[in-house]
Amino acid sequence: MNTTRNDGLSRRTFLRVAGGALGGAWLTLDLSKVAQAAHDAHEAREAGALNTSFLSRAELADVDAITAQIIPTDDTPGAREAGVALFIDRALATFFGRMAPDFRSQLAAFRLRCQAQHPDAGSFAALSNEQQIAFLKQVDRTPFFERVRLLTLVGMFAMPKYGGNRDGIGWKLLGFQDQHIFTPPFGYYDRDYPGFKIEVVSKS
Amino acid sequence: MTKTFRLSETVDFAIVGSGAAGGVIARELSQAGFSVVVFEQGPRHTLADFQHDELKNWFSAGLINDVVKSPQTFRDDHAKRGERNLVRPNLYYARTVGGSTAHYTANYWRLHECDFDECSRLGPIAGTGFADWPIDYAELEPYYTKVEWEVGVSGLAGASPFDPWRSKPYPMSPLPVKSSGVLLERGARKLGLHPFPAPLAINSQPYRGRPACIHCGFCHGHGCEVGAKASTLTTMIPEAEATGRCEVRSESYVVQVVTDKNGRASGVRYFDSDQRERLQKARAVVVSANGAETPRLLLMSANSMFPQGLANSSGLVGKYLMWNFTTRTHATFEHELNEFKSVQCSRIVHDFYDSDPKRGFYGGGGIDSRIGPQPIIWADRIADDEQLWGSAYKQRLADFPRTMQCAAHGTSLALETNSVELDPELKDAWGMPAMRVTYKDHPDDLALMRFMQARAAEIMDAAGAIKVSNSPIKPQTSSVHMLGTCRMGNDPAKSVVDRYHRSHDIPNLFVCDGSSMVTSGRGQPTLTIQALAFRAAEYIAGFARRNEI
Repeated sequence: MNTTRNDGLSRRTFLRVAGGALGGAWLTLDLSKVAQAAHDAHEAREAGALNTSFLSRAELADVDAITAQIIPTDDTPGAREAGVALFIDRALATFFGRMAPDFRSQLAAFRLRCQAQHPDAGSFAALSNEQQIAFLKQVDRTPFFERVRLLTLVGMFAMPKYGGNRDGIGWKLLGFQDQHIFTPPFGYYDRDYPGFKIEVVSKS
Repeated sequence: MTKTFRLSETVDFAIVGSGAAGGVIARELSQAGFSVVVFEQGPRHTLADFQHDELKNWFSAGLINDVVKSPQTFRDDHAKRGERNLVRPNLYYARTVGGSTAHYTANYWRLHECDFDECSRLGPIAGTGFADWPIDYAELEPYYTKVEWEVGVSGLAGASPFDPWRSKPYPMSPLPVKSSGVLLERGARKLGLHPFPAPLAINSQPYRGRPACIHCGFCHGHGCEVGAKASTLTTMIPEAEATGRCEVRSESYVVQVVTDKNGRASGVRYFDSDQRERLQKARAVVVSANGAETPRLLLMSANSMFPQGLANSSGLVGKYLMWNFTTRTHATFEHELNEFKSVQCSRIVHDFYDSDPKRGFYGGGGIDSRIGPQPIIWADRIADDEQLWGSAYKQRLADFPRTMQCAAHGTSLALETNSVELDPELKDAWGMPAMRVTYKDHPDDLALMRFMQARAAEIMDAAGAIKVSNSPIKPQTSSVHMLGTCRMGNDPAKSVVDRYHRSHDIPNLFVCDGSSMVTSGRGQPTLTIQALAFRAAEYIAGFARRNEI
């Protein structure tokens, strides 16, 4: 039985995939745990409490701050409002469990590096906005950042049943609508389409 | 209640694969009165299983082959060791009843006359396996028509001045045009080109008991939730089962075609859903497992009588692997297109289909307007070094509804060095040899990719795009079109199957799928695969009736 881990997301891999034919990176998804994760995330939100499943409270705060820099909140909601940090916490405890050990050690290294640079702040989350951006610019080519970035995109834009994309915030940001039925016209340019006309041409 | 056969019974045909070709052959042979068992590695889904789930279907083994359980290795040079890909299978396909017709886009292009005899027209190309087919367009034309009517294709006959002749129009009119199609048409016409409605195996009206498309936008990579997209899961397979002579055995992974002491195929050995090894006896075997798994199975079936693998006296099983590249150009416009709605493509351009010696390289292709990626992949793909995260990145995300993709597809030259083989070390989760893929683009293929992408970008410019970005062209390492690996031919030394898809070496072993193709066509091979399957099934049924198998 092959049990090789397959959640490696090196920068090189990411670029190849992003520019190539394949869409995204491969995530080992334990589908049997999706429902539980969504249920947990929902419960936690309902209770208004931050009962984490995998991360400590302090770790969650840092992850939340990173995701909020990736897709910031400005005049429209961002990763924070979409509940991405809690999504990541629940996902690592459940259907993305395979990458959880790596995530924990990479997060620890991230926090240590941040602390070494900003001994007074105590944590990444406690840095000012400018300090956070400056620090992330140093580390945004690391496998850890790539991982958080990908998880942020998943937590923002995957179906809400996975526990992120709260109230469809991610989809609203894009202008994507998840519906079963659409009818033409679909967009601006096909509204006044006069119909297809066959041109008479000679094949030269 | 569909038929269930006992292992102790010898059925007429064991068919390996339930996809584009296997589904057609199962229906044709069972309707012709033969008993058939179809083996499918993957599970059987119902339409209710098909959700708009990008995470499951694009980022994990929701529908496709699993990179963990069914690993592959890849290299671009025979001197190298194959590297295991941990991100996504290099050759990937839907692993489910219906095969890749469950998750495809359903672009149904016919090959043109030139695709069959281009080597004679243009002359051989040194260092390649460029060759004519043993059949021509006229021989396949009735079967193209048969697919279009039996499976259901929407399109407009006579719309393209470049189309080959046809004996019958399409059974359904084209799907409604999308904004991307209008823009492609506008840009292409400005440049003097001849865009036309994309033929799709998607219902534009109710057809043969299946409903019209509801434009939900989840064709590519997903199963159709209403069955408007023609998958063999909803077309051929139920009709085969309705004969009472066909059983589809899902979660049954065939690992060997077994031969008897006379060197004839006598059945298939497979793992059932509980990983138990089973043997099904059959009078004849048809392998339609796709252009990657078909050669792998023939090679895994090696025995003392056929030490090189079955049907492999030519040594060509797994060789001449061909893909159809895709180049991507993203174009953003002033107003909303909302490409996330409806089918993938609504307009295509075939002006560059024929090879033109003036270009300085071999090859030709087609260009289409299509839906951009879905939300997660969009967010991933638009990221670049300048906009990887932060406010500018967030702003770019919101271009989603105003952006389309203009894709180009085209030929691959057949090279003997491009191949599917058995990895000498790596095993899959069942202990069977993993697939090793070796692939390196011919320089003409790369030149063609650059040429075609430049034409696509010109069309988008002419259409008035405010931002056009080309995805970089790099050597290909992955494909969903797996062609040519058991090529058809008259000469047993230069091909694996004859013009009837019968293997040259074993009279009751037939091979029919993308592996049969001698040239790659210009993209969108499924219609050709199914035309070949209808034709093969007709001959195979004739052989069986005359006791010639």
